[in-house]
Amino acid sequence: MPGVPTDGGAVGTVVPFSREPGDAVAAPPVRTIRHGVAPPVSRVYVSFSSGNLLQVACLGPPIPEGGGGRGAQEVAVGRVVEVNLGGGGSGPGGADVEEEIDEAEMRRIQYGSVPAFALLQSRKNALADAAAMSRVPSVSEHAEWWQYVLEYSKTIGSLLGNPDSLPAFMIDDPKTILKDREKPTSLKASWELLEIFFVDKQLKSWLPERFVDWLADYDSLLTKTENTVYRTLTNFQKKLINLQIVEDDPDYWNGLAAALSVGWLDIVVNMLRFHGSYQLDQMDNRETENGLVEAVAVLVSTMPRMRPDLPTGKLGHCCKTRPDFIKALEKWRGQVNKLECSAFWIQCGHQKTRDGLKNLLHIMLGNIKNLTAATSHWLELFASHFLYIRPFTVGFEGMNHLAQKCIQLKPSTDNSGLTGLLGGILSENPEVVLAECTKSFGPWMVTHAMELLTADNDYADMMLHEERPNIGGISLEELHRLVYAQVLCSHSLTWQIAPTYLSSCLNQGLGLLEILLLKQPIQDNRLVLKTLEICRLYELGNVSTNIMKIGGIYHWKHGRKGTGVYWFQQAHDKVRLDRIALQLFENIGKSVTDDSFKKWEGLLELLGSDIGSAGGLEFLHRYRDFKRSLQQAQEGRTGESARQTVEFLIQLMRNPSTPQRFWLPLLHDSVRLLNCKPCPLLNVAETTLLLNKLQELSMAKLRPDFSNINLPNHALNSVRLALASNLARAILEDP
Amino acid sequence: MADSDSLSFRRHPHPYSVDLVRWLPSSISSDRLLAAAVHDPAVPYSNHLHLLSLPDPSSPLASLQLPSRATALRCSPSVLAAATSSGSLHLLPSFFDADSAISVPSGAGFHVGPVRGLDCGGGAGGEEWVTAGEDGRVHVVAGGGDGRVAVRRVWDGKGMAGYEAARWASPAEFATGGTACGVQWWDRRKGDAVVAQCKGIWGHGTVTGIVHSIDIHPSRKHICVVGGSSGTIFAWDLRWPQQPIPLSGVGLDGTAQPVCESEVWEVLFDNYTQSSDIISSTSTRILPVMMCSEDGILAVVEQDERPLELLVEPCAINSFDIDPQNPSDVVCALEWESIGVLTRGRDSMAE
Repeated sequence: MPGVPTDGGAVGTVVPFSREPGDAVAAPPVRTIRHGVAPPVSRVYVSFSSGNLLQVACLGPPIPEGGGGRGAQEVAVGRVVEVNLGGGGSGPGGADVEEEIDEAEMRRIQYGSVPAFALLQSRKNALADAAAMSRVPSVSEHAEWWQYVLEYSKTIGSLLGNPDSLPAFMIDDPKTILKDREKPTSLKASWELLEIFFVDKQLKSWLPERFVDWLADYDSLLTKTENTVYRTLTNFQKKLINLQIVEDDPDYWNGLAAALSVGWLDIVVNMLRFHGSYQLDQMDNRETENGLVEAVAVLVSTMPRMRPDLPTGKLGHCCKTRPDFIKALEKWRGQVNKLECSAFWIQCGHQKTRDGLKNLLHIMLGNIKNLTAATSHWLELFASHFLYIRPFTVGFEGMNHLAQKCIQLKPSTDNSGLTGLLGGILSENPEVVLAECTKSFGPWMVTHAMELLTADNDYADMMLHEERPNIGGISLEELHRLVYAQVLCSHSLTWQIAPTYLSSCLNQGLGLLEILLLKQPIQDNRLVLKTLEICRLYELGNVSTNIMKIGGIYHWKHGRKGTGVYWFQQAHDKVRLDRIALQLFENIGKSVTDDSFKKWEGLLELLGSDIGSAGGLEFLHRYRDFKRSLQQAQEGRTGESARQTVEFLIQLMRNPSTPQRFWLPLLHDSVRLLNCKPCPLLNVAETTLLLNKLQELSMAKLRPDFSNINLPNHALNSVRLALASNLARAILEDP
Repeated sequence: MADSDSLSFRRHPHPYSVDLVRWLPSSISSDRLLAAAVHDPAVPYSNHLHLLSLPDPSSPLASLQLPSRATALRCSPSVLAAATSSGSLHLLPSFFDADSAISVPSGAGFHVGPVRGLDCGGGAGGEEWVTAGEDGRVHVVAGGGDGRVAVRRVWDGKGMAGYEAARWASPAEFATGGTACGVQWWDRRKGDAVVAQCKGIWGHGTVTGIVHSIDIHPSRKHICVVGGSSGTIFAWDLRWPQQPIPLSGVGLDGTAQPVCESEVWEVLFDNYTQSSDIISSTSTRILPVMMCSEDGILAVVEQDERPLELLVEPCAINSFDIDPQNPSDVVCALEWESIGVLTRGRDSMAE
């Protein structure tokens, strides 16, 4: 759409635009485009290119004819600028993810998730087929499904970063509380959350502990503004360098309580060892105090935990079964109680140590007041309940109830996507889960997370697969996949993986796939071949034929005649090949000399020995053979070549595809051959055929549409004479 | 044959498309170096040649901007050359010193459109590069040492045939291949003319294909191995020009198993894989050939043998190169914006 610049605006402005400082919110975002065209710009054309690219053509005023503008200065009169609309961070692939994951990293995740997704879909289809065959789904197969989904989930989880590769809080330098590690991302955190709650059935018995682990990995992501255990410890770490006597600082004891409340036992034990009573010069005076600190450290490190195993570096006593755990817990609580009531506390002179340690003991005993005080975020309080108050919490209902209680105790205003997601999970509301995924992480997350949601949840399964008339009769699952596929299509590097997703959409996927393939650029042969390969994989023969035709026309137009013909041949496009043949006849018709014919050699070579596919070009091939043979015959090599030439001539004249306008040139070319030989080369029937053709030609000459070929006027007569004499000799020779 | 268990493969993701990748001679540096042609469609003018080093090729040591996307990349012992989709040629005599780069611009005097056929040959008067483009032109570019080049047009097909591959056989002979024109053998001693021609093994009639890559073994200069459309790999022996020897292909009768069904982008003779039949090394048997394909296969094919798959990737392998100095190592450019380095373990392999 051309725009004509309005007068009166600033120089170079096509449409007047004023940015008022008052309504900054309502003002549309402005992108500056450097076009390099000297002002004033007289015309602007805007059109959509592939994907997110917008092509903006800026034209300056036309240079007056002969105005001498040349040479003086090379100023661009116009330029086409490509503007990438997706780059602004608000692109369709965007959402919040882009803050922590850049585009190239997101593409890496997109590529990596393709094989896992494809494998899961093929397994799903195989199971569905098997079920359809036997009508009753086999129980064992059904039971295995979540394991397939778990495998899928682990594969994708590993793409999102691998914080597990470095133990979360390993101690290197004894004074380091939190070890540096790969920065966790909320994308990975959300993925794990979904995996924990929806897929991994092995976790069912120790889900609370798994949640505690999850919090240890991702506590730093819970909120950006409010306090967390992670932040408390980070702040204390900064302060630690300047602290002379750590046990006098309240932050030391707060940090200890916070770490203990969320079960980071290794950190607690490490921090307890910072206590001044461990220093050799003070050991004698503070013997009792040190004994108490050490006793607490021992109790912390032997806390019973209901889980099969612990990662290296983590502390606690693992109990595999519930009775074991109950027994161990009773015993451990007894020990904690005993220490709490011990008489040694009176002998401990340091007030802050006494209070701090007692606070830790109360946390271990599950005192709700101490836990509430020690934790910062409601999720931390939630996790501390699992550890110290209700280790047997099972089922979404119980957890949700607990979560509500924690939120009441610690209301939070800065809710990240993670808390919203957890809320949706615990309230058993797949709609909320999907909405949170969309809002925070965009289409990639939704498309891939749907598989987790439906792994073992009949309601989610029904909700996602129900065909909805209000969105065109497709299911929500298909809708989300289509949206994701569109995002992939909008980038020239990722469009190739979109077919995997489109092909899993039964209703509209194939139609969109065809559109996608037809829209791919055809300028580059290699890209065309890549597109055709996808057509082959999805058995889209019609689409590939169309692409070949489009490619053929492009190359033909740009002078790459051979490549053009090649694509038409591949597409079996007889109509266009015939048109091309006509064009070539025009060219050849004008110059039948041998030299110029050599120019067409390459093209004829291309046409192949079997000419069925070449359409009207078939003639050219035979014509070439005739010419070649004629040349050999005229060089007088053998009588055999002369005979062969004449055979080619007869074939050409018999063939209906030989254009009439070539009859006379063909015969004229052969005149010398017919005359120079002592014995006749043509028999009576052949000569009669040629004479008949000649007669037909003479008749056609009278018609208005007859096209004359630049041959000498006597050509017809000389041919007629040669044929007549040949006929005479042939009759004599005839037995 | 290499034991498939002893393969080690590493993918190195890059934030842009890696179109071509080659090993560089390690004599110029103690590190092992790679050259890669990269392209980022999101950023304008972002076609580059990157110099990368192993074991961590994630960030380039040096880079050179190209006017358009690279379509061919080759290196001689002293020069790295790249041809582009617009038809220009760039020679870097002392690797990645941008000042010493010599360019032959595209246009009427050279190529217009993609140049995919590029190879270096050593004539008597120094290095000579042959270029063959989709525009049907064939050039020989000589020199490059003293900062000047001489371009000579060998043939102008005027678009009647498009060339996709070129390879020197000797200082006087080279082979080209392309869109449906099969393979041509050019002899400069006979007036720069095509002296032999092979239409390939795509069968007859409607079934034709494009030649994407040609390799000629230095010790057997009369044999070309050719990779092209429909998983086709064949050897063409000049002594029997009418009978190309199929190594792999779809729809061939019996003799060759298809290693893949899609485009074979590159072929190279594989010096690392020993021919399974030792006696045959003097016979007419074709030496083992490595190939990469659009459907993500990197494999070694041999006459009358099952193909040995080295990699089966979920995405296309657009280009690969075998380290000439250390042929157990293979580097490949993967469609999904990454470079793969494959090491075939056999300790006895000499440097």
